[in-house]
Amino acid sequence: MAAGSDPSTGGVQTGDERSGGSRGVEPDYRFTLANERTFLAWIRTALALIAGAVAVLHLVPLDWHAGVQLAIGLALTGLAIVITVYAPLRWLSVQKAMRRGRPLPMSALPVITAVGVALVCGVVLIGSYWL
Amino acid sequence: MTGTEPRQPGPRRPRERGVRSSSAAGLQAERTLLAWQRTLILLFAVALLHLRDALQNGGAQPGDGAWYRLLPAMVLLVALGVLVVHLRRRWRTTDHGVHDDRTGRPPAPVARPWALVLVSAVSGVLAVGVAVSTLPA
Repeated sequence: MAAGSDPSTGGVQTGDERSGGSRGVEPDYRFTLANERTFLAWIRTALALIAGAVAVLHLVPLDWHAGVQLAIGLALTGLAIVITVYAPLRWLSVQKAMRRGRPLPMSALPVITAVGVALVCGVVLIGSYWL
Repeated sequence: MTGTEPRQPGPRRPRERGVRSSSAAGLQAERTLLAWQRTLILLFAVALLHLRDALQNGGAQPGDGAWYRLLPAMVLLVALGVLVVHLRRRWRTTDHGVHDDRTGRPPAPVARPWALVLVSAVSGVLAVGVAVSTLPA
């Protein structure tokens, strides 16, 4: 173990612990943990969208047009699938950037999620006044 | 001031830093563990929600449709058990998130990367299962 591997200031050479598999210096463990929590928050977002989809499609008795109901449910699950695919990739790219000391990459996912949820809200509004 | 506690900035400093960083480490890892617990509980709740629907509709119309809905939930429950065991084991071996023997610092990430991939894959499977279960109807 290197003498200068103070977790609060420096890093540990990769090879000691590989958490993603790339070169560079392992970042402060608190940043790695924060990255992990961010990932988990994305997963919870996706799960909330899935729960909403299950509610719209199966549980709540809605007298909407069937097409509207199906569209909303599929939009919610589609959004959840996009998030669950993207979240680990995002985690990995952030981890790599932190190891190499680069600025964190921008992500389109918050915009996609916000626009998607806004669209669903709009359709719900239209659907509940339509029928 | 009686002067019974002479200040020793030199020798004390490293130990203080060690104590402080290990307590901060405990908090950070514990927060992450709590985030894991929230996520897994939510995963379980959503799986039950989906399962409830599958069982109710499966009772009404028995057939292949019920299995298509039950299968993702079963896969999910198995994966959930694997994740819980992994987290508990790793939490114990790292001295409650304070010290990982292999690196000498707090465990980061708290779970291994494959667990992150597993939890997102399982969530994706659940989403696909929910979407597929509506299509034939």
